[in-house]
Amino acid sequence: MSSLTRIYTIAANTVREAVRDKLMYAIFTVSVLITLGCVVLSTLSYVEGTRIMQDLAFTTMRVFCAATAILIGINLLHREVERRTIYMILSKPITRSEFLLGKYAGLVATTWLMLLCMGLVFAGVSFAAGAPVHPGHVVAIAMLGIEMVIVVAVAILFSSFTTPMLAALYTVGIYVVGHLTQNLYHLATASGDAGVGQIGVWLYRVLPDLELYDLSIQAVHGLPIPAGDIWLPVTYAAGYASVLLLAASLLFERRDLR
Amino acid sequence: MTAVIQVENVVKDVRPGFGLRRKRVLHDVSLRIERGEIFGFVGPNGAGKTTTMKILMGLIRATSGRATILGHAVGETEFRREIGFLPENPIFYDYLTGRETLEFYARLSGLESRARRERVALLLDWVGLDGAADQRLRSYSKGMLQRVGIAQALVHDPSVVFLDEPMSGLDPLGRKAIRDLILRLREDGKTVFMNTHILSDMEMVCDRIAIIVAGRVRYQGRIEEYLASECGQVDVTLESVTPELAGVLESQYGAELRGVRERIEFRLDSKHVPAVLRAALDGGAGVSEVSPHRPSLEKVFLTAVRDAAAADHRADGESDA
Repeated sequence: MSSLTRIYTIAANTVREAVRDKLMYAIFTVSVLITLGCVVLSTLSYVEGTRIMQDLAFTTMRVFCAATAILIGINLLHREVERRTIYMILSKPITRSEFLLGKYAGLVATTWLMLLCMGLVFAGVSFAAGAPVHPGHVVAIAMLGIEMVIVVAVAILFSSFTTPMLAALYTVGIYVVGHLTQNLYHLATASGDAGVGQIGVWLYRVLPDLELYDLSIQAVHGLPIPAGDIWLPVTYAAGYASVLLLAASLLFERRDLR
Repeated sequence: MTAVIQVENVVKDVRPGFGLRRKRVLHDVSLRIERGEIFGFVGPNGAGKTTTMKILMGLIRATSGRATILGHAVGETEFRREIGFLPENPIFYDYLTGRETLEFYARLSGLESRARRERVALLLDWVGLDGAADQRLRSYSKGMLQRVGIAQALVHDPSVVFLDEPMSGLDPLGRKAIRDLILRLREDGKTVFMNTHILSDMEMVCDRIAIIVAGRVRYQGRIEEYLASECGQVDVTLESVTPELAGVLESQYGAELRGVRERIEFRLDSKHVPAVLRAALDGGAGVSEVSPHRPSLEKVFLTAVRDAAAADHRADGESDA
């Protein structure tokens, strides 16, 4: 049996767990209600009502996908250890790293599934409101999915060595800062102080740049999306998530599961 | 015989809380379990049984020493298709059905699709869960969950099985079912390593035992030898005993006689048996029964635990002085 099959088995079970969990349905229902609420809000504007509706709907998708990734991600390893379900799994021929990667892949797939459902709701609401839906929207939603590749990896990294409460705190912190790192970079380069500038640039390089994955403005306004705005962030996400997962694996391999 | 499980001078230190001070929970533990044995690892709560098993399962690392299963270091992974493990009070994914649970563990163990289906069906039947196989585990009773635990440990037909407190919390019927399963494993030639503190069950199924108290192995061997070594007394029953002979037995050998009319029973140190039997026969009495006294394992075990605690207390006192 290959390593990939073992990872797939854990991932499939993680998706199944999420799909059979009421939390997912609660999050999805609230996100649908808010998306519908966006239609009502957009009617308050005399101009560009449909664009405002789509912009708000994108924000809803972003927030609820990140909430799913963080809420499930911070508990993913902790709950397995706390409830001792991991004992029986690790007694089988599977390494801790394979287990961790399986949980990671499963949660990424879960957020993508959630995103797909929310994307369908977005399309339905847009059609109903007479707003255009074009490939740019699909690309922007897909980039949200790529952003989750990083967010889930951050949650898993913290989940591998700390409590859910602290993991939530750290992950939310990284998520918020991740959307501000470009501002941080601009501030650093504009700073007159060389030391402050260097620290700012260093932080920009270490922290994830999650604004790369926000193509909602281009999508909503029908602007062209250059290929470089897709493949560069995708490559960045693959590299960044790989480093985080490697660190999480090393920490998890060394941990005593008491 | 080949050692299937070998633990050599394993030490485990833990750091309770956030302090820097370490506490030793296993002291030079050494065990050797042969192929086809049912081995009972017994000790009071907190003695180090589960810690030892976790080291064997690779869940925690030994501070020093070495542990191997089937010749492989316990940190390795691939050989685990040859071992099965039931943890204490197992908790499962309760959103899965019994069948899905076994399918999941069988898949992780590397069973191919057809073999997996056959093996899962066989195990469900074996543990008596075929009727409830498609119910979610959240509707299962504790006894049913324990049987799912046993089934997942055996789903890939391992040659070595580790059971941590397999009878804990079960009613007498459930305990009997698990005991029968363990005996069936012996018939199939499996090696079983079992942690338990239910001594009567252990006495019924185990070939050999090790007793661990406060992180130290105090005894390792066959139960009968252990009981004999802890006793050394013999029960004797005589017929047609005259008052003169009874007087001799009481005064010379310190026997406490119990009996009705001319038939008496008494217990005495095994070294006195030849002389007592000679005296009885010379005095015209008949010998009905001579058998080694067999104390209950529980009594002997409790004595061992008390002795070990007292020894540790003395050692602590000496080191403080």
